[in-house]
Amino acid sequence: MGEGKDLRDSSPTVYQALRQRGVSRRDFMKFCSLMAATLALPASFAPKIAEALEKAKRPSLVWLEFQDCCGNTESFLRASNPTVVDIVLDVLSVDYHETIMAPAGKDAEKSLQDVVKNQKGKYICVVEGAIPTRDGGVYCCVGGRAAIDIAKEVCGNSLATIAMGACAWDGGIPSANPNPTGAVGVKDVISGVPIINLPGCPANVVNLTGTVVHYLTFGSLPLTDNNGAPLFGYGTRIHDACQRRAHYDAGRYVRQWGDEGHRNGWCLYYMGCKGPETYKNCPTAQWNDRTSWPVGAGHNCIGCASPKFWDTMTPFYSRLAAIPGFGVESTADKVGLGLAIATAAGVTAHAIARAGRKHIRHEDEEKTAKTEGK
Amino acid sequence: MPKIAIDPVTRIEGHLRVEAQVDGGQVKDAWASSTMFRGIELILKNRDPRDAWAFAQRI
Repeated sequence: MGEGKDLRDSSPTVYQALRQRGVSRRDFMKFCSLMAATLALPASFAPKIAEALEKAKRPSLVWLEFQDCCGNTESFLRASNPTVVDIVLDVLSVDYHETIMAPAGKDAEKSLQDVVKNQKGKYICVVEGAIPTRDGGVYCCVGGRAAIDIAKEVCGNSLATIAMGACAWDGGIPSANPNPTGAVGVKDVISGVPIINLPGCPANVVNLTGTVVHYLTFGSLPLTDNNGAPLFGYGTRIHDACQRRAHYDAGRYVRQWGDEGHRNGWCLYYMGCKGPETYKNCPTAQWNDRTSWPVGAGHNCIGCASPKFWDTMTPFYSRLAAIPGFGVESTADKVGLGLAIATAAGVTAHAIARAGRKHIRHEDEEKTAKTEGK
Repeated sequence: MPKIAIDPVTRIEGHLRVEAQVDGGQVKDAWASSTMFRGIELILKNRDPRDAWAFAQRI
């Protein structure tokens, strides 16, 4: 990332842009704290981020849409509360984005060409949507050019490319079986530039902003996992940070939509929750101004940050056969009971007995159900 | 007759190309085409019907 300095040489700085837009110092500091939390940094890093953003110039950003549903754009535009929307749009100088830009047709294409030509190697390219490769790439064209050709030019000349969402990452829904258009992700056709993947359907804007703020603060892209996704956003298993986890450990499960357990916010494992196999910061980052998230709202996780999830995580309402980490023979009840015993040191015997009773009752119910089924 | 093309049409969700044949400042004929195809209908075939909403929603 030796060209980082160049990126910071255009004007004005992030902080100046924010002040011009009427964002208060207090809101700015709140944003820096949010970013520190998102990046899994101690709160003491907030002033460091603030200091960096006060000096950093806004990086140019172009947003390409290919085989997409616009869901990541929706996610991007719903960046938390209005203040944060201002901040995100000011931290990033969005020079090309078909869904929100004023020019159309040739004028739009000129905006893109200007960035590619004048800021070669200095701009950030965000890609939303998969890239079709079958039949010469005819299944997605913009301005008469195939998506694959646009990607090679625009991503190939970027400072870094961010694949936003499942489709841009690994082909997503267009690549689901039988993949009619030969859709692939950015990483499958682009090489030679750093690519950050933000899996999810859609990806959370906080992870996009976090990636850019990380770059502006530390001068480097964030550390990534084996999917090329930033560890700060994709390093934690949803199951381990889930607000319903205590119910799982205690063997309290939703068995039917609307049952007592569902009304009381119990664990959704038996309803098909893919949280035990999915890594993303949904439980903490949340959505809609951190109001809620799917599991918080009472629906099972569909595993949208997992590889090829439209094929590997479906049917969405069938429960996972086994949970990684506990051996293939462990059912949720057994794991729940095991954990209850493992943590027994700090728990009263009464509580263990209760968890045990529930465990036994669940097994009995399953046996009954099986017998009835026969 | 001169023909104009607007591609991409922006501020919409999705990909759209509009071509128009213009004569004396008047549009005589016009064509609109969606320039992206994924085949969601083909992908939906043979799947658990309870999952259909999640697929179809992504259109």
